[in-house]
Formats: sequence, C-alpha cells, structure tokens
Amino acid sequence: MVEPNTNRVAEHRHSVAEALDALFDPSTIAVVGASRTKGKLGQAVMALLKSNGYGGTIIPVNPSGGEIEGLAAARSLEEIEGPIDVVVLATPVGVALDALETCTRLDVKVVVGVTSGFSEAGDDGHENEMRLRRIMQDAPFRLVGPNCEGVVRPASDLQLTFSPMFNGLRPGPVAMISQSGALGGLMALRLGERGVGINAIVSSGNETDLTAADLLEYLGNDPQIRVVLCYVEELRDGRRFAEAARRLTSDGKHVVAIKGGRSRAGSRAVQSHTGAMAGDDRVISAVFRETGVIRARESVAAVDAVTALAAGRRPAGNRVGIISVTGGLGVEMTDLAESAGFEVPVLDEATQTALSRYVPFYGSVSNPVDLTGVVLANPTYVGRCLEAVAADPGVDIAIAIITFVPDQQFIEALAEAFDSTGKPILIVWTGAARSNASGEALRERAVPVYDSPARAASGLAALAATTGEVA
Amino acid sequence: MTPRETLENWQRAGRKVVHEADAKDLLQRIGIPVPKRDPAEGRCVAKLCHDDYPHKSDHGLVRLGLSPQEAKQAAAEMAERFAGGTALIEEMEEGSVAEWIIGCKRDDTFGPIVLAGPGGILVELIDVAEIRLAPAGPQTTEAMVDSGPGARLLAGLRGAEPADRGALADLISRISVFFAENADLISEIEINPAMVRADGKGLVAADALIVLSPKADQQENPT
Repeated sequence: MVEPNTNRVAEHRHSVAEALDALFDPSTIAVVGASRTKGKLGQAVMALLKSNGYGGTIIPVNPSGGEIEGLAAARSLEEIEGPIDVVVLATPVGVALDALETCTRLDVKVVVGVTSGFSEAGDDGHENEMRLRRIMQDAPFRLVGPNCEGVVRPASDLQLTFSPMFNGLRPGPVAMISQSGALGGLMALRLGERGVGINAIVSSGNETDLTAADLLEYLGNDPQIRVVLCYVEELRDGRRFAEAARRLTSDGKHVVAIKGGRSRAGSRAVQSHTGAMAGDDRVISAVFRETGVIRARESVAAVDAVTALAAGRRPAGNRVGIISVTGGLGVEMTDLAESAGFEVPVLDEATQTALSRYVPFYGSVSNPVDLTGVVLANPTYVGRCLEAVAADPGVDIAIAIITFVPDQQFIEALAEAFDSTGKPILIVWTGAARSNASGEALRERAVPVYDSPARAASGLAALAATTGEVA
Repeated sequence: MTPRETLENWQRAGRKVVHEADAKDLLQRIGIPVPKRDPAEGRCVAKLCHDDYPHKSDHGLVRLGLSPQEAKQAAAEMAERFAGGTALIEEMEEGSVAEWIIGCKRDDTFGPIVLAGPGGILVELIDVAEIRLAPAGPQTTEAMVDSGPGARLLAGLRGAEPADRGALADLISRISVFFAENADLISEIEINPAMVRADGKGLVAADALIVLSPKADQQENPT
C-alpha cells in the first residue's frame, strides 16, 4: 500500500459545513474516470457538468490524458496544481480507492463517490469496504457516498451526476436528501415537471462518512430552503436526524420523509410488552410526528406533499372550497378531502351570488361548485370563479379542478387568481400531461398542480399536516 | 448506594432480567409509588419474584385476594417450589380506575424512547400506546396522557371517574429521565400495570421489570 502521509496539506479533518460549502459552490471539480467513451459513468458526469453550464474549473482525470469534452485531462490527481474543492470518483472500485488514497495527500475538501462495489455488494464488497473505511479513518476530506448518484444544485448550474433525471430543474426552496439515487431521480423529475424549484439534491448513497443527519443539519441552516424531502432506508444517527428535523420544523420549515423498509419485522427477541408495542415502524411514525416530520408512504405521495408545501402558503384552517368544470371530479375531491379531515362547507351568500353570474342553472354554486362545461366558453371564467371562492371568508384552501385547457388565456386567468390571494390554492388538472406546454404560467409561480383528486388530497394533507402522514 | 450503582452491581453480578421485587425497590428510590409491603391487615397479593420467571402468572407465582396470614403461607409454598426466588407480599390495590403500561427501551434508530398506553389485559386487546423520545419532559408526557384512544379511558368513559392524569404524566416523565440517564446499563424498563386512581389520588406501580444490557465486554458488537 501507500507510504505514511508526510506531506499532507490539510492536517485537520474539514468540518461538515466547510466540506458542504465547497460541495455546493465549488471553484474546482476534478472528475476521476472522465472518459470519451459513451456509456461510461465518467463520460456521463463530464457531459452533464458541461451541458448544464457549470462556470467553475472542471479538470477531467484520465491516465491517457488528451482532451475530454474539450478540456485538457490530467493524467492523475497529483498532476493538478492547487486546491481541489470536489473530486468525483466515477471509475471501477479498485481505481476509485487508489484515487481516494491519493486524495488524502492533496488539498481536497470533499469527494463524491459515485462508484459502487462496497458494503451494498455484500460479501463481494467486503474487502473494498474495509479499505474504504481505513482510508476514511484519517482522511482530511469528507466523503459523499459511495454508491451514490451525486449532487445537483441548480442555482450553481452544478450537475455532478451521471443521471439525466435531474436535468432542467429550476432553483427554488426545496432540498432533497436521498439514500437511493433512483428514487431521488424519480422525485426530482416529477417536482421539476410541476415547476417546483430545487435548492439542492444530494444522493447520499452508503453514507460511509456524511449522513442524512449531517446533510439535514446543514441544509436546514440555509435560509433559502423551506422544505427538505428525505428518502431514507437506514438512519445511522437517527437521534441527530430527529433533533435536526425538530429544529427545522419549529422554525416553520417542513421536512417530508419517506422511510423505506417499513414492513421489515423486528429481529430481536422481545423480553417485554414494551419491545412488542414499540416496533420499528411505530417508533418511526411516533418520532416523526413528535419532531414535526411529515411521513410520506411512498415517493409520489412525498412529491405531492412537497408540491403543496413549496408554494409557501399556510392555511388558516381546514375549510376547503372546491370548483370543478365537471361534477364527478368535484364529488371525488370532496369525498377525499372530507375523509382526510377537511370540511367542505356551504359557501358564503355573496360568493354564491358572484358565482351565479358564470354558472348555468343546471350547475351548482354551493360547494363543491359545479361550473359545468359552459364556463369553458369564456377562457377567463374559471379564473374568476376561483378568485371568488378563494376570497370567501369561510374558505381556507381553494381547489380548482379542470380537465383540458381550451387556450392559453384560460391558464393565465388561473394564475391571476392564484396571485389574487394569499390562501393556498391547489389545481387538479387531469389533462396536464397532454397540455404541458401551456402550464408555464402556473409553473413559474410554483402553483401546486396535480393530475388527480387523490394526488391533490396528499398535498392537502401535507398542507394542514392533520395526521402527520400522507398516503 | 445510588440507583445507578445498584444497576451496575446487578450488571456485574450477571443479571439480565431483574425481578419485580428488586425493580420496585429501585423505582421507589426514584420517586415512583409502589404498593405497601407486608401489610398487617386488608386484602393482600403474594408473589414469588425470580429473574428466570418474569412472567409470573404463567408459572402460578401470583396469588390474589389473600389475608395477611394466607399470603405468608402462599409465599412460603411458592418459595419452596422455586429456589432462589424472592417472596413479595403487598397490599392489593383496589381503588384504581385505570391500568396503564409505561415502558422504555432503546430503539435501534432513535435511541431511548418511552411509551405509555392502556395496560394490564388491555395490552393484549387494544395495543395502542403513545411513543416519544426519552427523556420526555412534563409538557410532553402531559400531551401523551391526553392523546390517542387511551386519553378517553383516562378521562372517564361513560360517567366513570377520571383518572389521576397528573400523577401518570409525572411517572412517565420520571421513568423516561431515569432510563435515558442509564440507557447504557438498561435495555428495557417496564411498569405494567400502574394502577391509576381517581384524580388527585395518585397511583402505584403494581408490577415492574428491568432488563439490563449485557456488560460492554460481553456485547456482540462493541462500538
């Protein structure tokens, strides 16, 4: 192996904050395993970094040198002069470990280990895992991963990942920590489609060094971040995670978490009733509730919850006003809202009068309001009706249900209605997928848009956090 | 000797499950009320406490509704059958309005936690408990006794007398603090049931169990 380190630059271990400051706003990134060969991880990482417009220095590292993505490649990390904020490891595991060992002798702040083949590989990865831990024991830098999909920060045009699932995200108030890269990708893509702005995404992988708790503590201190979405399978320092979550939620921020593996039965023999009654899953639910964490049953429900919370509007109560261009969807939305503990009260008389200017005699102006298809005749009518319902003093949350969009003005009118009030507004747009281009006015305002009443109900539940869980 | 030193002694002696009589001695020292021992009159309960038989009723080691004289006799008989046990004769608690379970354990993910819910036979029947991180302060434990299905029982269902929720909240807080401070020595502690009397009249721990952690050098994965 390697000689004892005598020429180490950083004598101390960087703090989590130092490392993550560098990670999210790096001046220099070295990509170990950068490649010209399509299909290799290092090629994808380089291409995504470049194409997303990252403005700092990118140094491809490849033993054969030459040019990669138009940049001169270093043959090894040692060839690079000066400090390196971030080293990405995107090579097979043996090479990655050699590079990691080299990093201990250089001025590196943080390493992102995309490489797999450690503890997650079971017995086959055991030796690699042992070597990884030995290196990390006295490494001055911090490590994200390994076995992770990387880091994304739209505001820094930073896309340190091999996965295209994170393309085209806009900056905003949501951060995501995911132990699974693929679930992170699924959630990011959906949030992006809905226009929800992202501050940072970290795929934390095996968490050999930096854990979900470290990341939650750090991201929670960022005043720009309003909602943190977490996917966790194993919380290594669960107590610290819970305390960090408690601090965030008592500051008025939100933590939405999915805890994977919830059906696994406890493995230890039970000595007492306490052991049997406080099973793993119940404890997770209880601790999340105690610390203000909204527990989502699965990833799409989590996205629904975050979509509603990211708009940053809090309801004053649990009274919902629903308008719909069709009776059936209004009824379904009402059923779901009521069974989630919300009220769907009869609207104020003044509101009913205002609505009756647009609604024909065979519709309904009570609640849910059945606008009927007639309102589609004028593109601004639905927007006006939404405004009227949102202005009702007996309504805390307004929901507008639409199917297809006849023209652009229709959407603009809904966006204006959103601007007309400070109350939370949710839109159920069942034809959203086919009329995606016209939704920009909603996306740029981060108006929560759902494709079905059930999905909107998850958003509704998160908004009021009535039960502490969303399904 | 402090309660902690007692725990250390037990652990050194290789005890794993600490029987009711010893567990109650310890609980009393941290301010948790237990039934009066060896009463001269009134109805009594006789038990034989043994580390190897924590589930006493399964082995016929609990006798209820005895006179003090009968209790002594019953205790002597049981002691003969199970060598190494400790006989316990206590006043039978008959004025309670609710039976509650209060337990603490170390959760693999979140560390020390405390739970409280309907106890006694209700544990098997409805199995609902409020769970919080330990230590839990008085505000938290007051919320625990006011939350969930158990809260309705404590408030007095259909005209029943309301239970002493203040005393129960105090017990939960006390035991959670004690457990969290000694969670390196104790892996579980449980009172089941605590007999909660009507409001203002307090409660007593009718049964208790302490499960000790193995000594550090005997643990499978010392960290």
